[in-house]
Amino acid sequence: MIKKALALIVLVLLTSGCAQTAYWTMTDDVNRVVKSTSFQMSVPEGWVRTTKPVTWERIEIDGEPQTILLESMAVTRDGTGIHAITVTRHYPDTSFPTIKRKSVANMLPPEVADLYVSELRKRSGLERLKVLSNKPAKVNGKPAFRLVMQYKNEDGLRIRIVSYGFVDKTGFYTINYRAPYLYYYKRDYKKFTSVVRSFKQLKSADDPPPEIPAWAKLFT
Amino acid sequence: MRNVFYFMLLSLFVGGCATTGGVTSFSNAEDTGNLHEKERRLWHEAAGFDDTIARSDQLYENKQATVYLQNVMDRLYPEFKGKIRVYIYDSTELNAFALPNGSVYFNLGLLARIQNEAQLAAVMAHEAAHFIEKHSFKQRVSTKNSAAFALSGIPFASLAAASSISGFSRDLEREADAKGYERLVKAGYNPREAHKVFQHLADEVDALGLEEPYFFSSHPALVERINEFKHLSSNYKGKGRIGSKSYNRVISPLRLEALHKDIGQDRYKSVILVMEDGKMRRYYPSASYYYLGEAYSRRDEKGDNSKALKAYRTAVKKSPKFAPAYMRLGMHYMKTGSKKKARYYFKKYLSLAPKDARDRGYVEHYLKSL
Repeated sequence: MIKKALALIVLVLLTSGCAQTAYWTMTDDVNRVVKSTSFQMSVPEGWVRTTKPVTWERIEIDGEPQTILLESMAVTRDGTGIHAITVTRHYPDTSFPTIKRKSVANMLPPEVADLYVSELRKRSGLERLKVLSNKPAKVNGKPAFRLVMQYKNEDGLRIRIVSYGFVDKTGFYTINYRAPYLYYYKRDYKKFTSVVRSFKQLKSADDPPPEIPAWAKLFT
Repeated sequence: MRNVFYFMLLSLFVGGCATTGGVTSFSNAEDTGNLHEKERRLWHEAAGFDDTIARSDQLYENKQATVYLQNVMDRLYPEFKGKIRVYIYDSTELNAFALPNGSVYFNLGLLARIQNEAQLAAVMAHEAAHFIEKHSFKQRVSTKNSAAFALSGIPFASLAAASSISGFSRDLEREADAKGYERLVKAGYNPREAHKVFQHLADEVDALGLEEPYFFSSHPALVERINEFKHLSSNYKGKGRIGSKSYNRVISPLRLEALHKDIGQDRYKSVILVMEDGKMRRYYPSASYYYLGEAYSRRDEKGDNSKALKAYRTAVKKSPKFAPAYMRLGMHYMKTGSKKKARYYFKKYLSLAPKDARDRGYVEHYLKSL
């Protein structure tokens, strides 16, 4: 009961403008390079991006809600409900949390890609998420996978996802682009590839993982 | 969400349809043209569910298998030809369901586990009986099953679909057993196969600790189904059709596809269970050993790495034209520093895999780097 009350208070504070910074920031020509804790990238001008990296996420594992560490940033032009570019870093112990697999630095990209697809299917419930292609790529000079995936939503609209990903000793990184194939996908695909090209890991990627904020645990 | 379902259900009761009196079953295809207004609404909902399934890529497209299933249904219920339509639902869950408008869906996963045509016919006759006896309509007007709608866990199902998929009350299931059994015998199938399909699935549910598939509603209902079919067939002296060859000729490629999907959804326990069971494994193509290797790799317990390698080697030996196993062996030897062996397996993969094979790019890339 106390936990629920505290969670409610936090939620009210956040939504009533007591948070220190706005969740979204418009990108202009002077703030196109976005720095997260362990990576940075260039964001298309005129798009909005998350002001600060998200550091945790709440997921369901075997029907039980859990809070895990995750570093992520999102970029969108028309709203995340329509399309988005997300960059994530999972720490090694929870790289594939729903299927309960860790990542290790010597995993080959096709092995990582297979686990990632399984994780996506299980976590999102998209049992019929199709893999259209899975090819070798490089991100920040590291061997990576490039997955093109697709599913149809209940209205029959084709949603396409392109994911680049790699593992190293600091965790599992992904750069994802999700958009309806109709109109949006092609319109912004080039911008996505420029985000991928600009991705760089920072020295702080080697720092030990942070603690999950105590208040974030209240939600589980 | 649950509240919405309860509210909708409540609305139906308040709307004055809380009686099952006067609901008569269909006797042939022509009867289906003469529906009660409330029943017509139920059909409309079911048709909407059919549409959603079709447009969101949830149908498994295999013409040969679909035609085969439809022929078995038409053999069971010739008087409903054209009205009961059979589809393959693209899911590895062990399930089958009939909608109130005569659409019957068999999950790919269930088809993979069924061993012969008689077992298929047993499930099919049971499901079609739900439609012919109008169980969705009867259940809708019954107050007993209100929770089924709310707890079905189906994200976008209409009420009609929810009741069909999540199972019916015990009385209605028993009626479907009895009517289905009659039809099974009448169509010339061996009814002694019927309980075997339920028994095998019950074993799988127990071994994997699965949540109950909707098809079974609950574990007691599943045990009851096994006992009911055993009881019904105990006095059967005939030599009815089993149809093992015809079933497996059509379904064998689907089994490989089901294993592929199981691995893709991290259901490795299920793959190991099936492939370690000698009785079940013989129904699977020899290339299935590749998926056993994948399953051991996913499980990643002590000794699983060598088990996976053994399974890949068995796949290569028993199914030498199946390319993916060569890639896995190549990757293993590349990681362990045996470049010569790695090159051999990668080249073998490239010679066998289709030009547009998903992993071809990786193998070409690795071969260049060796």
